[in-house]
Amino acid sequence: MKQARIQLVFVASFLLLWQITYKFGIFPQIMFPSIGDISNSFLEGFIEDGLLAYTLYSLSLIFKGMLIGIVLAFAFSSLAIISETFYSIYNFMVSVCDLIPGVALLPLAILWFGINETTVIFIVVHSIIWPMSRNIIDGFNSVNNVYIESGKNYGLTGINLVKDVYLPASFNNVLSGLKVGWARAWRGLISVEMIFGTTSSGAGIGWYIFMKRTNIDTAGVFAALLVIIIIGIIIEYLIFGTIEKHTVKKWGMVR
Amino acid sequence: MDKILKVKNLTKNYKDGADSVNILENLNIDMPENQFLCVLGPSGCGKTTLIRCIAGFEDYDGVVEVSGKETKGPGIDRIMVFQNFDQLFPWKTVEDNIKYPLKINGTKDKEELSKLAKEYLELVGLAGSEKKYPHQLSGGMKQRVSIARGLAVKPKIILMDEPFASLDAITRRNLQRELLKIKEKENVTVVFITHNIQEAMTLGDRLIVLSKSGEIKLDIHNTLQAPINPATEGYGELWKKLSDNLEGNSDLY
Repeated sequence: MKQARIQLVFVASFLLLWQITYKFGIFPQIMFPSIGDISNSFLEGFIEDGLLAYTLYSLSLIFKGMLIGIVLAFAFSSLAIISETFYSIYNFMVSVCDLIPGVALLPLAILWFGINETTVIFIVVHSIIWPMSRNIIDGFNSVNNVYIESGKNYGLTGINLVKDVYLPASFNNVLSGLKVGWARAWRGLISVEMIFGTTSSGAGIGWYIFMKRTNIDTAGVFAALLVIIIIGIIIEYLIFGTIEKHTVKKWGMVR
Repeated sequence: MDKILKVKNLTKNYKDGADSVNILENLNIDMPENQFLCVLGPSGCGKTTLIRCIAGFEDYDGVVEVSGKETKGPGIDRIMVFQNFDQLFPWKTVEDNIKYPLKINGTKDKEELSKLAKEYLELVGLAGSEKKYPHQLSGGMKQRVSIARGLAVKPKIILMDEPFASLDAITRRNLQRELLKIKEKENVTVVFITHNIQEAMTLGDRLIVLSKSGEIKLDIHNTLQAPINPATEGYGELWKKLSDNLEGNSDLY
């Protein structure tokens, strides 16, 4: 609770400082809108501009991409623990692929899949799978040997050992992998949306930001950023926070 | 008499360098059922390596047989209790830690599982701790649960690798007493590794001292009358005999 209070005071001070900066006209108004302008744009965005639809479309893409990315990351990381040959190959793949920014793959993806949802999801999956796999494999590798030997002693082998020992024992790493994956997914998604705007099936929040910039509606740009921040906070505190409380914190694996 | 455990020509070399030497050299041990064997040795003599080979956690030259069958890798017939307090799964409650190995080995009935968990927790003096998580237990309690978890699957042999070595003296004494009680109640065959002479004399029916070079230096039966304490007749002589064999091993002297 103390942490929450400190964070609240910080946010309030930040907003106050913002408003003071605005009032003294340190930056041109067109570049630096007031808190009031941003709030208005935020509300108007939802009421008149269909910001909710843009947001939901982005979220639907990100969840599809994350689902595929998470499943693949788990499958490949588990396989890497079971087979040494696969471990060598996959470890190498992760190191190489993690270096390639999703946006750099976009031209290729457009060639392969066209300008559509598949391309966006491809980029999102690419943004998630490598950092997540890295976290999962690092976590698996640092599992206390005594858990693994206990598991083997009681008859666990192969995928059962991964599922019942490696996974829960490294759950903290798995969670941080999910967090990193989630953040990377947003970045990938927004960049792609800005670059090719809309697909036949809809447009996302990246496109919304891009449009607002084109219309020199700076407050609108900030309003869209605010939406991303709010979603981030909800996921971080509500989803990840709840998972942590019921797993690693309950198990005494983290403070 | 039938031997439950036979170790034949066990030689172990970690082969982790050009000059790596044999940790264990041509070791032969036969053990009848219901024996409590304590293996003593100076640190670095390979006593932990020995028990890990028996458990199947290491590769080795030679043969380890349980009830006449050669073992390959770890198995439910030989359960290891480690020195490390963190051998219980922290993501499971005390009760589930005991139930889980039973479950994956064929006991599916929920009532049966709960009954067994309760029974074995009672045996190690921890009735009422079912719903706790391991991080809420002290080191001594964790070791008790680990022993309960091991006993519950009814292994042919229990392997204990200095399970009490990291405990304070009082807790260690208590756990030794509990273990003696369990030994009387249940028919268990135990290989117990320790560097503590008092512990070996109190617990073991049979005492083996390993030399620094990984050979059996002394292999005797403990003929002292229970309860064994420093006032027991013959305690001093046996203590000296073990101590001489232990110290004579050390390269430092």
